[in-house]
Amino acid sequence: MLKLEERRASIQPIKSKLKISILDDEDIKKINEAAISILEEVGVLFPSEKALKIFADVKANVDFDKKIVKISSHLVADYLKKAPRCYTLAGRRPELDAKIGGENGTYFYCSGEAPNVVDLETGERRRSIKSDVENMAKIADYLPIVSLVWPTVSAGDKGETAPIHGVEACFNNTEKHVQTESVMNEISAKYTIEMASVIAGGRDKLRERPIYSLLLCGIAPLSQDKGGIESALAFAEAGLPVGIMSMPTMGLTAPPYPAADLAIGLAEVLSGCVLIQIAYPGTPIFITIQPATVDPRSGDYFYGSSFSQITSAAAVQVAHSNGLPVTSQFSFGGNAYKLNSWQVGMENVCGHLLSVMAGADMSFGPSGMIEAVALLDMARILFDREIFQAIDIITKGIEVNDNTLAFDMIREVGPRGMFLGRKRTAEELPKLWPPSILFEKSRIVGEKYRDAEEVAREVIDWILKNHHPAPLDENVKRELRKIAAAADQDENLKGGIRGR
Amino acid sequence: MDNKELFAKMEQSIINYDKDEAVRLAKMALGKGIEPAEAINEGFVKGIQAVGGLFGREEIFLPELVMGAEAMAAATDILGEAIKKSGRKAKYLAKGIAGTVQGDIHDTGIRLVTTFLVANGFDIIFLGTDIPSSLFVEKAKELKPDLILLSALLTTTMPNQKEVIDSLKGAGIRENVKVLVGGAPISQDWADQIGADGYGENASAAVEVAKKLIGG
Ligand code: B12
Repeated sequence: MLKLEERRASIQPIKSKLKISILDDEDIKKINEAAISILEEVGVLFPSEKALKIFADVKANVDFDKKIVKISSHLVADYLKKAPRCYTLAGRRPELDAKIGGENGTYFYCSGEAPNVVDLETGERRRSIKSDVENMAKIADYLPIVSLVWPTVSAGDKGETAPIHGVEACFNNTEKHVQTESVMNEISAKYTIEMASVIAGGRDKLRERPIYSLLLCGIAPLSQDKGGIESALAFAEAGLPVGIMSMPTMGLTAPPYPAADLAIGLAEVLSGCVLIQIAYPGTPIFITIQPATVDPRSGDYFYGSSFSQITSAAAVQVAHSNGLPVTSQFSFGGNAYKLNSWQVGMENVCGHLLSVMAGADMSFGPSGMIEAVALLDMARILFDREIFQAIDIITKGIEVNDNTLAFDMIREVGPRGMFLGRKRTAEELPKLWPPSILFEKSRIVGEKYRDAEEVAREVIDWILKNHHPAPLDENVKRELRKIAAAADQDENLKGGIRGR
Repeated sequence: MDNKELFAKMEQSIINYDKDEAVRLAKMALGKGIEPAEAINEGFVKGIQAVGGLFGREEIFLPELVMGAEAMAAATDILGEAIKKSGRKAKYLAKGIAGTVQGDIHDTGIRLVTTFLVANGFDIIFLGTDIPSSLFVEKAKELKPDLILLSALLTTTMPNQKEVIDSLKGAGIRENVKVLVGGAPISQDWADQIGADGYGENASAAVEVAKKLIGG
């Protein structure tokens, strides 16, 4: 059983002793060259006048009519140099800082922004609302395996300003670093950055300790989103870290080959990175390439296919070869999956094991997410937690020394002896039996273990009742309320964000 | 080549996913003075129905279905203009316009819905992504479709489905069309709430609902 006790938030990255390299140096070189050819000869669509001007100012090849930017290898090299390899995604206190690019290993998100949720009481699928965001942030705050928190569902009761309310809900319910992937226009960006600034105690303090960041997704193939790119510029202006993601779908929005997906995905993300570094040199950035496959019979979308996973893990090497931190591996299933389907369990193990062994700086982590990020089942995060615990154990490898070779014990016990009733065994055995929801003893006669799902739901209930994330100061809370209320009144945010 | 042979070739061109051949045959039909509607109904539609059948039996997959639908679209574009003039109708089940609402660029789902409907004998014009409600209304007035298909994948763009419906009302043409909505965050509840005529969970459901709505 998991030990449930009230405690303050903590974070736990996983550092792997096991290392894999999926690509060799020659492969990496070829992929980088292909990406540069794409940037130089095909270009990337930037439907933002602002972005086009930034590129034109440094003499990139900009076609203002077609809104296509072609970027030379020199520009790429010059501006990537300005991006830091190591930086901090700050929590509200230093113990919760994720030190990206350092020696600590892979940090995990609790990510998502699904539009739907499994209702905790009825078990029914329904549209998510703001209180669901609050609840999941609280759960993420409690679980050490989570270092970085997204609004995992949308505040669907808030309409157009749902992303802003989602961020507020997170700030109010976790001390960990908060990141958004749905604040996708400049106006919303400014409201939420103001929230972060109020919490940090001013713009300069926020810049010093960025407790808030953005992940922007390109539109495969080879395009950026107008609102998104302008939001990213606003984050960078405030000194906040920005991630740039590409989601090539093999055979649909990208060629049907993993190698080509890495190349086209890299071209897409580099175009965003270069823009940010031209506009605000030194902005902390990271990239992520998350390919998917589709069911050729229905077009249904699969994050978790083995082809996607190996490609996402290979992107770690590609990113590092460009001096950029990287987030790896979604664990979100496919859009047509059933709740608790077998696939997702298998997928989440393979994917994250690969990303940790590949040395990813971050990974999308345990989320309780399913249906390709369209449905959150909160209790599932405990199943994901099991998976990460297993990955942690496996990737720590085996410690070999005199103590662990235990020759003295072996000599003492001898042939046909028993190691059970020994002091050292008493100390060590519980460590070989880590806390788990999977092996809870059943009280029902004839049933050995209880249903893990039932246990998981009890744990979630416990956390929601008993865990109290360190609250924000009342004044700060009130300020955040005011900012969200102002956003709700902002005419420019009505009508599905007009004028994208 | 007599007309029967020509129709057979048209059918075959779609089954072979041969866009150039389909276009060539469409032009040939016009040259020979064949009724364009007849060319579509007796030739190309049979081809796309055969392709749809193969797809349904999992003998071919989406790439082929898309190639077939594209060959079909290329041929019918050429014949469409002539049909307009002739006044006769092709044997489509119904005509529709489809797109993703403003602010939203997710197009995989709605493209699939379009492709499935086309493969099932509907005439659907795909307007694209990030389509403002004013454009849906304008196209509805211009093309007089039986169906309007609205896709939204984002929580923030769902309200724009309602906005299209309201705009159709405002323009006084709401009663002339059936509005179908869909997308991952969309549900039957939402469809009811915004006064849509139908909701489809996936592309096959979209076909079923569309058929029901047009009474086919
Ligand atoms: C692929 C994808 C993308 C691709 C889109 C590529 C493309 N050309 O379409 C890219 C990478 C570009 C993208 C971008 C973004 N995305 Co996106 N994306 C997805 C994802 C994973 C899958 C969508 C998909 O293709 N599904 C496969 C198809 C086959 O299924 P479908 O779309 O649901 O369609 C089927 C049915 O719904 C139905 N249907 C659909 N439309 C219609 C219409 C009618 C009339 C009918 C009857 C039926 C019907 O039939 C279809 C066929 O079976 C979804 C998650 C999800 N599970 O939906 C997120 C998701 C929709 N995206 C999301 C987000 C946040 C974004 C970004 C803002 C990310 C960012 N930070 O930049 C941008 C937004 C850009 C914009 N302005 O729209 C969120 C939305 C969150 C929310 N609660 O609002 C989701 C839910 C994922 C997530 N939780 O993060 N995305």
